[in-house]
Amino acid sequence: MKKLLVALLLFLTVTQYAQAQTKVFKEVGEEISSQVKAIVQDNALVGYLVFTQLEKASEDSFNYKITIMDENLNDIGAINFREQKLILQGVSLEQDVLCLAYLKSNVYGNEFQTKKKVRAAIIDPKDFVFTQFLSLNGKILNTNSIKVEIKYTVDPFGRKNIWTADGKLQHNIQIKNIPGRGFACFYGDERKNNLVIFNPDGRLGWQRPIKEDAKAFGLMSSGQDVYLLMKQKDKMLEGGYELLGFNIKDTAVYPKYVLKDKQGNSLKVITFANDPVTGKPYISGTILNPRKTNDYETGKQLTKGTYLGVFTVSLESHKKGGFIENYSYWADGAAAGISKKGLFMEDGTYGRYDLSFKDYQGNTYFIGSGVHKQVKWGAIISSVLTAPFIIPPMILLGLGTQKCKVKDAVLLKQGPKGALALEGTIPADKTHFVPAKVLLDAYDNRVYYNVTNADTKSDYVVMGDIKNFVIYNVTQKKVQRTIPHKDGNIFTTIFPAKEGHVMVSEYNKKERYTRVSIEAL
Amino acid sequence: MNALRPLLTACLLLTLSGLYAQTRALYNYQELSHLYYEKQRDSLKKVWVCPTIYKDKATQKKYKEFWDDRTGFITEAIAHDNYIHEKEVAGYIEDIINQLTQANKSLLPVRPFLLIDRSPSVNAYSTGQNVIAVNLGLISFAQTREELALVIAHELSHNILEHTDNAMKQKAEWLSSDEYKQSLNAVLDSKYERLSRLKKVLEGYSFSRGRHQRYHESEADSLAIVLLKKSNIPFNAAYFLRLDSSDIQYRQPLKNPVKNYFTAYQLPFEDAWTKQRSKGLSTRAYNFKDTTSIADSLKTHPDCVDRYARTRNRTTPNAKYTPIPASIRDKATKMLIWNMYYNMSLTPCLYRILLEKDKGNTDEWYDFMVNNIFAALYYSDRELHRFNAIGVTPKEYISQNYFELQTMFLQIPRENLEQYCKTFQNEAFWKDMTPAEKALKNLMYTLALDPDNSDKNKARAAKEFKANNSASMYCEFADDFEKK
Repeated sequence: MKKLLVALLLFLTVTQYAQAQTKVFKEVGEEISSQVKAIVQDNALVGYLVFTQLEKASEDSFNYKITIMDENLNDIGAINFREQKLILQGVSLEQDVLCLAYLKSNVYGNEFQTKKKVRAAIIDPKDFVFTQFLSLNGKILNTNSIKVEIKYTVDPFGRKNIWTADGKLQHNIQIKNIPGRGFACFYGDERKNNLVIFNPDGRLGWQRPIKEDAKAFGLMSSGQDVYLLMKQKDKMLEGGYELLGFNIKDTAVYPKYVLKDKQGNSLKVITFANDPVTGKPYISGTILNPRKTNDYETGKQLTKGTYLGVFTVSLESHKKGGFIENYSYWADGAAAGISKKGLFMEDGTYGRYDLSFKDYQGNTYFIGSGVHKQVKWGAIISSVLTAPFIIPPMILLGLGTQKCKVKDAVLLKQGPKGALALEGTIPADKTHFVPAKVLLDAYDNRVYYNVTNADTKSDYVVMGDIKNFVIYNVTQKKVQRTIPHKDGNIFTTIFPAKEGHVMVSEYNKKERYTRVSIEAL
Repeated sequence: MNALRPLLTACLLLTLSGLYAQTRALYNYQELSHLYYEKQRDSLKKVWVCPTIYKDKATQKKYKEFWDDRTGFITEAIAHDNYIHEKEVAGYIEDIINQLTQANKSLLPVRPFLLIDRSPSVNAYSTGQNVIAVNLGLISFAQTREELALVIAHELSHNILEHTDNAMKQKAEWLSSDEYKQSLNAVLDSKYERLSRLKKVLEGYSFSRGRHQRYHESEADSLAIVLLKKSNIPFNAAYFLRLDSSDIQYRQPLKNPVKNYFTAYQLPFEDAWTKQRSKGLSTRAYNFKDTTSIADSLKTHPDCVDRYARTRNRTTPNAKYTPIPASIRDKATKMLIWNMYYNMSLTPCLYRILLEKDKGNTDEWYDFMVNNIFAALYYSDRELHRFNAIGVTPKEYISQNYFELQTMFLQIPRENLEQYCKTFQNEAFWKDMTPAEKALKNLMYTLALDPDNSDKNKARAAKEFKANNSASMYCEFADDFEKK
């Protein structure tokens, strides 16, 4: 017995030594956390940035590392620095200066050992919008801190020695470059929403409080103008958009533009971007049916005419008539091949538009899943036949007399003068029929984004479907590639990348590696 | 009749050269290490048993881990065909080793086990236990027998001085030492800067090990000179300086504009393909701290300038040097180019071919390889792997010409790439290619141009290739598709 005990002790000592190294690496590794962000300039991806919190450096500071990669994922350099707790929220580039926007806080994202310490910290929190300006030779050129106010409560679900506070900015920090001028930064806290302009070297230019109390804001820059697209807190779930514009040069404020058509119908914005030819901004989306405004979540609602048509508003100038509005309606029955409720007659589907973009010929494309509705004749007949039994017909018709399924994706083209045409369909995985009352999100989880190639003036749509990624060449109206998500042990995902390219990520489950490659379309 | 003799001789030579072209092969499939060294691999596993040298179990366990890692490294490399036994090249290196061992019997009582590594890097290495490996990159780079002999003697010296074995012992002792455990515990006990502290522990060891290693390198240099002198092989300290320039091969400019190498094949070429259109950071004037050089703490070898200065006075005066036979260098270069191709490093592979063409090399095998490179690029594009096949290198590491070539690979439109592949299918050089090379052409056609892009079709073509060319070196390429 004694021998056994000695042997056990020896074993424990040896394994403890062996584990000491693993334990150190594990514990130190657990303290490291990284965020990867795309570096964007003029709305195009120009590189990648990895922001890593390396370790706690003192009671209230951390050591950080920023690794900068070019658009081909090659490392071009790294910067180390020490700061308070930072949460990176935006990255942009202008005149070879990188602007990083963080939320700096002594509460947000911090962990406290006791509930008492969290309570003490949230009484007088120190929160800042912290901007950092880095040169491409590895120097921190400038930093700025703007005090913000965040309301915190103690997170009741703390663990032993780890207590945190709940709270956040009302509107997260957004940052965009302004060509030749610097950077525009927007955020909202408990006191105000604020638009801040920085010079390229990181000096504060001007700032303007935004009085509008919107549900959401979208920041955009175009030439010397900065825009805030606001989603107002009104009753329309999909509508209620307004646009604020500012001239950076003379700080002029443009009149507010309310997104409504000439009949006063509210508009749903799908895209707010710059025109690939003129570089001027445009807004595109669908025109909402005021009587069906909030009816879009189920297949049944979608097919009852939630949308009246599509629109494109081009912001050519701020003079009178400078906003070119292009409205196209199917609700008036004028669109060939499309019913008044938006049904594509030939295809038998309704478009559930998720993506829109302008091409190089001035057309606007609207892309989304085609939803097909059908009457449940089988269920109706069966319920009639089983009517005397009361319960079976209730079960059979409990979920309605209609069913829907998602078919191929549809491409609707709106010409420069408003002509509508079903330009084509993208072959996709079809779902089974689902009762029409079921939420569309439950069975339509496709992801769409577009890739444009300025050299060949070609546009592509990338569709992430159930089994495959499909790359569709809009210009040539054909499927360019179909890439299965799973091929043997390899799981493939396609992400947006630099202009005209996609990032192909292949995870080999068997050999446990991920291969990433930037491929031209 | 006399007047006709030169004509007849020329005709005979032409016929013979044609015959040679038809039958030449760089090496056989069976000379790849997984087949050639199969028995040695198995016996290594059995024979290399870790000796028990430590009473402390933890130290012995660590030592065994390193010992087994070394065995694993070599056996895995053999299994993965990292080595090749081509008779002529291996024979040439063996000859140098024989000369060194025979003249230094007391230091080298047993002939070392030589491995020819297929790597293009200009290097050689010793693993201890009387094994040395010489890279094809070194054989292709070296100009004289004496230059090769210096590197080989240096590696043999490492084995004689038991540097690898001692390093394993030291590492095992350190990793199981109280000092190391205490340093790790100190990291765990610290509240702040734990990563920095851990890095210091590891860097401190690496730095001291690096310094040791650099001392070892100087030691090996000194002993190598002794080995050479005893073998009557002249020593020239200037070789250290030449070896220093080995890593800048891709910074060498080409003699001609990139365009010329393609128009020579009557291929269409647009200058715009070589001009990067990206708006990305790769085109910007970034200038972070120079990352092209290695941090001092990570250097294993002393700077070549120091090595030169230290050994300059031991250079053999008035020595005559023996150039490496052209056939050896040619074979080594071709073998490493094929290996780079097989590993899908297409840009460096083509750049090396263009550098060969700059030397005036008109061997049509290189044209055959240019064809293969474009077929592989088109195939990779079809498979959405073009970017990885190109192996994009940042501009600060390469010449302007290399950058242009790389940019061309990235930007050449798919249609032109297809056109390149099709044009190469009809080039004149095919008539002088061996049957195996012609068969590879068919396989490449299936991979890149066949409308049937299924794995089944590729496997069929690969199987067909292997069935008809079982001894061909190109079988390893077909292997990958047959397995799919």
